[in-house]
Amino acid sequence: MRGRPILGSLAVLGYIIMIVPILFVVSTAFTAGDALTFPPQGLSLRWFGEALAYQPFVGALLSSLQLAVVSTLLALLLGVPVTLAIQRGKIPGKSLVEGLFLSPLVVPELVVGLALYQQIMIGLHQTSFVALLVGHTVLLLPYAVRVTGASLALADPAIEEAARGLGASPLRTFFSVTLPLLRPGIFSAGLLSFVTSFNNVPLSLLLQSRQFRTLPVTMLDYVQQSYDPMIAAMSTLILAGTVVIAVVAEKTLGFAKIFGGINK
Amino acid sequence: MTSAAEFTGVTQSYGDTVAVDNLNLQIEQGKLTTLLGPSGCGKTTTLRMLAGYITPSAGTITINGADATRLPPEKRNLGMVFQSYALFPHMTVAENVGFGLKLRKVPAAQRRDVVMHNLDLVGLAHLADRKPKALSGGQQQRVALARAIAISPSLLLLDEPLSNLDARLRVQMRSEIRRIQGETGLTVVLVTHDQEEALEMSDTMVVMRAGKVMQTGAPATVFSTPANRFVADFLGYENFLTQSDGGLITVRPEHLRVTSADRTPQQPGLTVSAVVTDSVHRGVDHIVTLTTTDATGAAVTLVSTTRRDTLSTDDLGLHPGDTVVAQARDHEIVRLTPEK
Repeated sequence: MRGRPILGSLAVLGYIIMIVPILFVVSTAFTAGDALTFPPQGLSLRWFGEALAYQPFVGALLSSLQLAVVSTLLALLLGVPVTLAIQRGKIPGKSLVEGLFLSPLVVPELVVGLALYQQIMIGLHQTSFVALLVGHTVLLLPYAVRVTGASLALADPAIEEAARGLGASPLRTFFSVTLPLLRPGIFSAGLLSFVTSFNNVPLSLLLQSRQFRTLPVTMLDYVQQSYDPMIAAMSTLILAGTVVIAVVAEKTLGFAKIFGGINK
Repeated sequence: MTSAAEFTGVTQSYGDTVAVDNLNLQIEQGKLTTLLGPSGCGKTTTLRMLAGYITPSAGTITINGADATRLPPEKRNLGMVFQSYALFPHMTVAENVGFGLKLRKVPAAQRRDVVMHNLDLVGLAHLADRKPKALSGGQQQRVALARAIAISPSLLLLDEPLSNLDARLRVQMRSEIRRIQGETGLTVVLVTHDQEEALEMSDTMVVMRAGKVMQTGAPATVFSTPANRFVADFLGYENFLTQSDGGLITVRPEHLRVTSADRTPQQPGLTVSAVVTDSVHRGVDHIVTLTTTDATGAAVTLVSTTRRDTLSTDDLGLHPGDTVVAQARDHEIVRLTPEK
């Protein structure tokens, strides 16, 4: 940073803009007082207790976890074979197929949500869980395809050829060699998908119902009505969970590889 | 001669590019055959077709007399060693070597014996429980070799196996591979772009260019009597002269002797007058570059190399612009046939 004062100052400013608001939220969560104010009045864990005892939050947390886990598994089950087909297969129009599976990144989620609302909830009379499951799976596909793809691109194709040469059928090669090679990539794709689903608001907001509502939507709802430190405590809990996942992902594969092998 | 494998009229083309063009080749049983040539000559494509990773566009490949043209790799029972080693990173050395045996449902106890025997053969029995990542490049290469041999393959295929090793290890591995071939009696096909490697290791060498075979033969024969200019060039012949009858002759740089014009000994063979353009030392050699005109009147560059320790001081006194005489004896002159 020395010798580049402008660049250095910008970096510091960036960190401040990113971190300071989070610090406000986290510190107010530990307040002993009744208001969401800074600085916090006293130190206490009471709002964490309240948050975890508040039934709508707990129910929504379980809904969110359920949705995130199932949609992540579905996205991986669909995404891994697609990645293999794109990278190792001899299919025509590979880039078109890849583009199709990455397109949920650019299509506005509200458009996807509206389509699912019309077709699945109104048209097919399905529950909002089914609609959300489809929506989140589509949303997570680009991550599953991209992250496992980065992992597969780093793997030497000769390793799979060697297995074939030693007598392994294509299926046996997939399970004995390709899948173990992809394991870190699949693990990272899973973590990233889980976090993305868990934190999603637009789709979850549009497709919610009285029976099924995710945590971020419930919290949004809560903030609109009351403004007490319980929301800060719940946010802090989610933040802690996300940080743990990010650290695990970083340790297992590294963020550079997770985001498409930027510096491989 | 018994063929372990045979190519008949094999062609491989990708779109407009022809990688291998109407190849006819027999791989002799129990011998080491080298496919030699520059990159893009079709040698690796030929090996990969033999292994089953590429299906020929035309022609047939037989292995031990049976048609294998469209057989998938897992049904061919061939041992392949890749340039990148291609070890399974999630398995130990022993598991790598035992992989093919496990697929063949060899019982665990017997498998262990075969694995250890083959690791012994490459001198790595003590590293059986390591992961590939913990081994040096040379050690990984030996594991790859042991893994390929462990399945008792009908042929052992080596795709530039030494090109990722450092110079000293590469030379050491050449004799190691020859020793293992001798001990196992395996038929080996080696792909390389290194003429020294081919000359040292082969029983038969096949020189390829642009998808075609240029010459096939024992290394000594190919080296002393290259069939055409391409083979000669690839094997280090540097002096090419067109004669008055239109024929092309070549002489190795170490066979071309340079003397000052007034002291030329009379001898049968080649004697041409030339002008020195450069005279330099390179390690143990002294290299003189000359220019002359051949029978057609075209300017030709000649190169003569001499071991420096055999030179008298007088010979070193050559300067650019000096007129000299370059000579080669009859038996050092190779007559080339025009390229196909």
